[in-house]
Amino acid sequence: MATAVVARPVARPQERARDEEVLVWPDLVFVEFIAAMVFTLTTFLLSAIINAPLLDQANPDVTPNPSKAPWYFLNLQELLLHMDKGLAGVIVPAVWLGLMAVFPYFDTDNEGQGVWFGTENAVKITIVSGIISFVGTWLLILWDNGNIASYLNNWFGLSGGDSLRFLENARAFQSQLPWPAWSTHIPYLWFDLTILDQPFHHLNFPAWLVEQAIPVAFMVGLPSIMVFVMWRIGWIRTRRDALLSVFTGFVMTMGVLTIVGTAFRSESEELVWPWQLKLSEGIPGQE
Amino acid sequence: MAVETPTKPTIADKIYDKMFHNYVWKSIFRTGYPNTPRNQMLVVATNVFLHLHPTRIHRTHVKITHTYCLGGLTFFMFLGLTVTGILLMFYYVPSVERAYLDIQNIETTVQFGQLMRNMHRWMAHAMVILVFLHMMRVFYTGAYKPPREFNWVVGVILLVLTFLLSFTGYLLPWDQLAFWAITVGTNIAGAAPVLGPKTRFWLLGGFEVGPDALIRFYTLHVIGLPLLAAIFMAVHFWRIRRDGGLARPL
Repeated sequence: MATAVVARPVARPQERARDEEVLVWPDLVFVEFIAAMVFTLTTFLLSAIINAPLLDQANPDVTPNPSKAPWYFLNLQELLLHMDKGLAGVIVPAVWLGLMAVFPYFDTDNEGQGVWFGTENAVKITIVSGIISFVGTWLLILWDNGNIASYLNNWFGLSGGDSLRFLENARAFQSQLPWPAWSTHIPYLWFDLTILDQPFHHLNFPAWLVEQAIPVAFMVGLPSIMVFVMWRIGWIRTRRDALLSVFTGFVMTMGVLTIVGTAFRSESEELVWPWQLKLSEGIPGQE
Repeated sequence: MAVETPTKPTIADKIYDKMFHNYVWKSIFRTGYPNTPRNQMLVVATNVFLHLHPTRIHRTHVKITHTYCLGGLTFFMFLGLTVTGILLMFYYVPSVERAYLDIQNIETTVQFGQLMRNMHRWMAHAMVILVFLHMMRVFYTGAYKPPREFNWVVGVILLVLTFLLSFTGYLLPWDQLAFWAITVGTNIAGAAPVLGPKTRFWLLGGFEVGPDALIRFYTLHVIGLPLLAAIFMAVHFWRIRRDGGLARPL
């Protein structure tokens, strides 16, 4: 309470603790030197053993199946199988980078810095958030791919029949529900709006629901529920704790998406085990 | 009472004296050989490369498990990529007709060409991984907290620049892997609402990946983005010092 009435001064660099200091040469310079040498040798040896890939010359007429982005963008490529391309490929990463940039303006408390996992429950929050995100992301991918429905059907004989088919995956909400004709054709405004040659005339509500609304609800809602529950059971006590949960969840989700996009997506983006992965280079006669 | 008598200098002492106390050495390094605390501090303070560092540092920061050297190693990868990149530039012409053949030439006829290309490739992957791990380290040690707020923002910008550096380099070999990865990647950018198609056109210099895209990516990869990254790195390192060095408990 006391902090609420005391004006918070602008954070300044800490006082130096001179009696706790060591000399940069040799104590730090040598550590850096060794680290640099280890990495030089490692990349040198790696380069001596493994050659950088070089496929056939670029040919716009021959499309490899699947065509994959560089590995660090495969998380986005995986994400855009499940929702609107603009949402997955641009809005989600842009919003996330923006949110991440303002972390320190949200968590302005300077306690707990300079040590790993600075708060009492930090390790617990990190581990549990990581596990929840790992399992949750896999479940969502499997559900949207229709795998959960087929597991229920094949292993337990559970079949919802045609009336429950709309739960099979996210896009089934659009294709398996009897939407009235007008719902696919709702005008935005009383005139036809065009921005930069792109028409914004009608809203296709079922398409908007499965491409935008449901994914956003999941991406905003599930982390919010995770943070809320951890707050209610008393694990999350500060903004730092909340950020630990959200950041860990995001990193783990992106990690799972990267791995799925890299090692589990085969021809025509089919979900397979890594050992069933087929990568056609798209060279005619070499299929 | 024992009296200290000066011992005669050994051969090693004489060689040492000749090497480090002569006119030429002193013209290059103003301080003596850094074997006394005074010289050790002076060498850090007066050497242009070492003066990024303070002369003394809190003892918890030299513990390897505090930082794992991740930020420094990211910078080291950047330096390594600059060196190998310059060597590759001697042989590579960014034209659709020549690019692929030049890469084949680098691999087959240039002395150590394959090694240089491999090092450039694996160091690039290492840099992406290291910069990401460095961000995780900074986050989990709470090092973004005040007074280092702005340096975290600079770090986020450097993360994006690292991705862009790697992405623009990906096209240059002009093989199927490069061509289609950039096609997929720029299609993702092109899917942005409203601004997408224009952004994609601007990135590629056309409607599809072609000669104009190659020269754009090349220019960005070898000069535009490295310069930008160097500026932000300079700010990043400067701010570490100005904000009181590495974060430590209050």
